[in-house]
Amino acid sequence: MERLTVALPKGRMQKDVLALFGEAGYPAGSPNSRKLILNDTLGIFRFLLAKPFDVPTYVEHGAAALGVAGEDVLRENERDIYEPLGLDMAKCRLVLAGPPEARDLNLRTEANLRVASKYPRQARAYFQERGLSAEIISLSGSVELAPAVGLADLIVDLVQTGRTLRENGLVELETIRESQAMLVVNRASHKLYFQTIQEIIQNLADAVARRQEQKVAP
Amino acid sequence: MYANSLRSQLPHGLTDLFFEQAALKTDLEDLLREVFQEWGYQRIILPTFEYYDSLATGASAVLKEEMYRFFDREGHTLALRPDMTVPTARVVSTKLYDQPLPLHLYYIGNVFRYEEPQAGRRREFTQAGIELVGADTAEADAEVLAVAIDALRAMNIAQFQINLGQVAFLRGILSQETLSDSDLGRLEQAIQRQNDVELQRTLDELGIENEVARAIRALPRLCGDEGVLEETRTLCTNAASRRAIDRLERVYELLCAEGVGDHVILDLGQVRSMAYYTGITFHGYVEGLGFALCRGGRYDGLIEHFGRAMPAVGFALGVERAMLVTEIPVEVTPDLVIEASDDPACRQLAAMARAKGLRVRMDVLGRHGEALQDYARAIGARRLICCTGNGRYLLIEGDVQRELDLQTVEEEIISWKD
Repeated sequence: MERLTVALPKGRMQKDVLALFGEAGYPAGSPNSRKLILNDTLGIFRFLLAKPFDVPTYVEHGAAALGVAGEDVLRENERDIYEPLGLDMAKCRLVLAGPPEARDLNLRTEANLRVASKYPRQARAYFQERGLSAEIISLSGSVELAPAVGLADLIVDLVQTGRTLRENGLVELETIRESQAMLVVNRASHKLYFQTIQEIIQNLADAVARRQEQKVAP
Repeated sequence: MYANSLRSQLPHGLTDLFFEQAALKTDLEDLLREVFQEWGYQRIILPTFEYYDSLATGASAVLKEEMYRFFDREGHTLALRPDMTVPTARVVSTKLYDQPLPLHLYYIGNVFRYEEPQAGRRREFTQAGIELVGADTAEADAEVLAVAIDALRAMNIAQFQINLGQVAFLRGILSQETLSDSDLGRLEQAIQRQNDVELQRTLDELGIENEVARAIRALPRLCGDEGVLEETRTLCTNAASRRAIDRLERVYELLCAEGVGDHVILDLGQVRSMAYYTGITFHGYVEGLGFALCRGGRYDGLIEHFGRAMPAVGFALGVERAMLVTEIPVEVTPDLVIEASDDPACRQLAAMARAKGLRVRMDVLGRHGEALQDYARAIGARRLICCTGNGRYLLIEGDVQRELDLQTVEEEIISWKD
């Protein structure tokens, strides 16, 4: 069989995800190289390093059979793919945040609420589901700036420790969803390479479980 | 130069097909027609647009949104058909209801969806498929799957898997719960994603617990060969869910008896598809294509919407997607170019070659010599016949040129294989 292509998110998560694949028995040849395509040493995988937001696209189209993507990204794209395994990493939460005085804001009576976000779809859904009206301003990063310069009243953004928010004088108002990195699988690949992919999911699940055990009993 | 006026552009999601692509599509459609006819199916040809209300019957919310709608002069809403099954159900219930059952129908036709183009499928695309109406049996289910497999094989697609699900199992399990359509949709989506954490959260939010919740949480795992059936049986909560598994098991047995069991994966987690499905459902996946090439299933409730209740099962295949993965050879370039000189023999020779089944092109621009040879080479024709006058003909095949008289040219043409 040809190598299965795995789309991994380039950047912050990259090293940890490759390490996890290594622990599951699929070591990448040279994890520190700057190349965008890496082969594992066993001849099973070809790792493709893509922008995190693009991973679901590669997987939905079958350009990659498997991938790793955060739930924040998955819910923003709504691609038709499997998410069979939570990898217990890149844990964070999507929150509604704003300056401290926003705590007293009555969202229902605000007619001109402006909300900046890198996740416009989820931000819009949050307000719509609550019957609230808001203008969603789509940004591609550094969303914390928006309230400071008067671009928006509130933001919907991803928070890991909350430090960035605090440093920019913002407070969390509500958690919209928890998020972690998920293993994702193309629907066609899942059937065409059923046994192989089941085995990969199992090996990764075991590796995740081993990590969790080590965390509990140091 | 860019075409900067709309007049020379196409709307997003449409395309023109020509040469090899158009020929390949035609050949594929011929091939599928043959397969369907060999199984005793008869063609139906339906209108491209109908009343929106007819087409929206039993359709999912997504499909309704994707319809192209417009008005007639009386103000009725019309729509371009987004699939072939709903119009077929209308015809069966209103016109074919007193025909001997079961009905074996097939169609090849264009459908229209306002969606982003994906894996060869554009906003206008061709579906080829069958509907087997009036038989609520495992044999009918298995036949439709067998025809689908035959169609894939006829297109020289060897590497494929059929994912076989049974939506009646989930419906059976849920029969004691009262769920709104949107809640059911949320639940199906969570199952379909195989995201266990999200699924558990959704079950909690919907207040589904105990053995029903246990069965539903197991669905994403229930994927594989016959072992899956045993495990699913232990999760049945009522007669409806047991019946659903009995049917699935019987269909699987029939497929194994046909020798195609290796191509089938049972998947109880495949719960989302066309909204009108009520029994087995299946998706055909092919090496090299990230999306399903064909989809089908049983829809026992759809025809009733048009007045008469009849069980039915069918499948449709995306012809443009098949074009991406099929391995059938196509030939479109002329086999022979003939100079159209005043010599009446030229036309005779052309007719002779046509009678042999060759593709023959007369040069209606009246070119000869170098100019005609350049043209024949440019279009990739295998042979060229030029008139050199005085009853002599130049036959050019690749680099070989021979000057022949009328009789020897004729003999030559007779000797060609078609």
